[in-house]
Amino acid sequence: MSTLTTTGAAPVTTGRPPKVRKRPATRLAEGLGFAVVLTFSIFPVLVMVSTAFDGRANDGSRALLPSDLSFANFSFVLGEGGFGRYLLNSLAVGLGTVLVSGLLALLAAVAVARFRFRLRTTVLVLVLVVQMVPLEALVIPLFIQVSSLGQLNSLIALMVVYVAFSLPFAIWMLRGFVAAVPPELEEAAYLDGASWPRMFWSVLFPLVGPGLVATSVFSFITAWNEFVFAITFLDDEDKFTVAAGLRQFFTQYGTDWGSVMAGSTLITVPVMIFFIVVQKRLSEGMVAGAVKG
Amino acid sequence: MTTQQVVHDDTAHRDPAPAAPTPPPRRHRGLTPGWLPWALLAPALVVVGGLLVYPLLWVFSLSVQDFGLRELREGGFHWTGFDNFAEILTNSTLWQTALPNTVVFAAVCVALTVVVGTLVALLLVRLGPWARGVLTTAIMAAWAMPAVSGTYVWVYVFDTSDGMVMRLLSSLGLADPATTNWFTDRLAFYAIATLNVVHHGFPFVAVTVLAGLLTVPKEVLESAAIDGAGAWRRFWHITYPIMKPIFAVVVVLSTIWDFKVFTQIYLMPGGSGTDRDLLNLGTWSYLEGISQNRFGYGAAVAVVLTLLLLAVTSVYLRTLFKQKEL
Repeated sequence: MSTLTTTGAAPVTTGRPPKVRKRPATRLAEGLGFAVVLTFSIFPVLVMVSTAFDGRANDGSRALLPSDLSFANFSFVLGEGGFGRYLLNSLAVGLGTVLVSGLLALLAAVAVARFRFRLRTTVLVLVLVVQMVPLEALVIPLFIQVSSLGQLNSLIALMVVYVAFSLPFAIWMLRGFVAAVPPELEEAAYLDGASWPRMFWSVLFPLVGPGLVATSVFSFITAWNEFVFAITFLDDEDKFTVAAGLRQFFTQYGTDWGSVMAGSTLITVPVMIFFIVVQKRLSEGMVAGAVKG
Repeated sequence: MTTQQVVHDDTAHRDPAPAAPTPPPRRHRGLTPGWLPWALLAPALVVVGGLLVYPLLWVFSLSVQDFGLRELREGGFHWTGFDNFAEILTNSTLWQTALPNTVVFAAVCVALTVVVGTLVALLLVRLGPWARGVLTTAIMAAWAMPAVSGTYVWVYVFDTSDGMVMRLLSSLGLADPATTNWFTDRLAFYAIATLNVVHHGFPFVAVTVLAGLLTVPKEVLESAAIDGAGAWRRFWHITYPIMKPIFAVVVVLSTIWDFKVFTQIYLMPGGSGTDRDLLNLGTWSYLEGISQNRFGYGAAVAVVLTLLLLAVTSVYLRTLFKQKEL
């Protein structure tokens, strides 16, 4: 670890009293805290990735760094392991969720941000209430519903459920972004003779773009990571999503840890990239929604 | 009414929110038909109503029925009153296993998540831009780890025959792999689950609290420091009062999440119900309802969990509103 050569958090601006110099003991404590938090945060990620790249993962190699660097686990998982199929299924369900949920949430967000009518607060209360209901409690009625419609093993049914799960939060986040767009722009477009759909598409849509990106990432991750409904609705191996498919590598003869970790790495990496890209907006949206409530 | 918009600031007597303030809602009278907002809302309402609200009502209705595989095939409604609940409330699984495993586990997880997250946020505020950037990215990596893969990694690390922790302990002579199995011991099992849940949950707390800390005026903290107030007093007398709403949100959300932890328990060895000592309310409901096809009974367990969650969160919210009035 390199030494920290920083003084305080804020950049010193004019008009501020000059920064108090930190004592060496304080610097040491900060450096120690930094090392501890860093290690704790990335330890599981490190274990996962290094096991995934370890060709001897299943021969009792349990080193923190790969003893035999190879892509063998990945090629097995994506070939014989059938994980490529699961990735495609998850991708399809995830993108479908993003598109449907994004469109419905945007329409609803425009309604609650732009018009005055009774249901506005109801919608916001609904978002909070949905947070409070354990969604796992809904697995029993939804299983009955889906199976009586003959839709078990249907990725579409799974996607529809994920749309419902991600909608309340998506509406909550998008509402703020829509409200920030000046209505005058819409009026100007309207007076220029633009139709409603056209105005929606060419005025509002581009302006709430950043908000849509953040919301989409959230919805995608919801679908991508979901486990309970995936294992309940799907029992046909061709239809497995990644979260359900990982269980294939646990057999009665033992666990194929190399494949489990390679699969886990394939699941985790896209999510991590998305997360680090939109983390600022995601947390702002959460805080804003929470404090506003 | 003209189409000229008169901006009157109604946010003045409310807490300033960090996001863009909502402009006063407007009626485009003459410009927009009255049915338009409803048309915009309709699709979302249909989905939420059909897939969240209706199933939730259905859980309550199932909980007073004897609903099994036969009803699933043929339909029919076998009202049994509160038999399911009577059976749950007289079942030792509830009192000795599922309830303690749910409540104690959630309490420990919430306390640890909030304390660890807050400490990390306080550290982040002090660090310079470079160190803060590195640490934020690492925390994001922890947050982004899906529950499924995160759980598998912890199971792998604590694997009793050959995991890293066991190797370390046995080389130090502190544990014997031949006689120890952490996944059959309730306390050890839930300790590992706690580590998993705290690791997964502290980043949200850290990032949210950090956003709040950045709104605490630095001048006040600095002058308090010059007056000789220690870090501890500065936190409790200046930072904490300003941050109260943020802490409230973080505690309430963590509580909700930690009460209904399912995947992290279900995926650990024995957690899916093969070892009944390890059941919590979520996995118990799933075991009875989905695995054993006693849908009514499983729904009744889910109702118990939902009511418990509502009770806990409403106590929180009432305390909050009371404090606001003071």
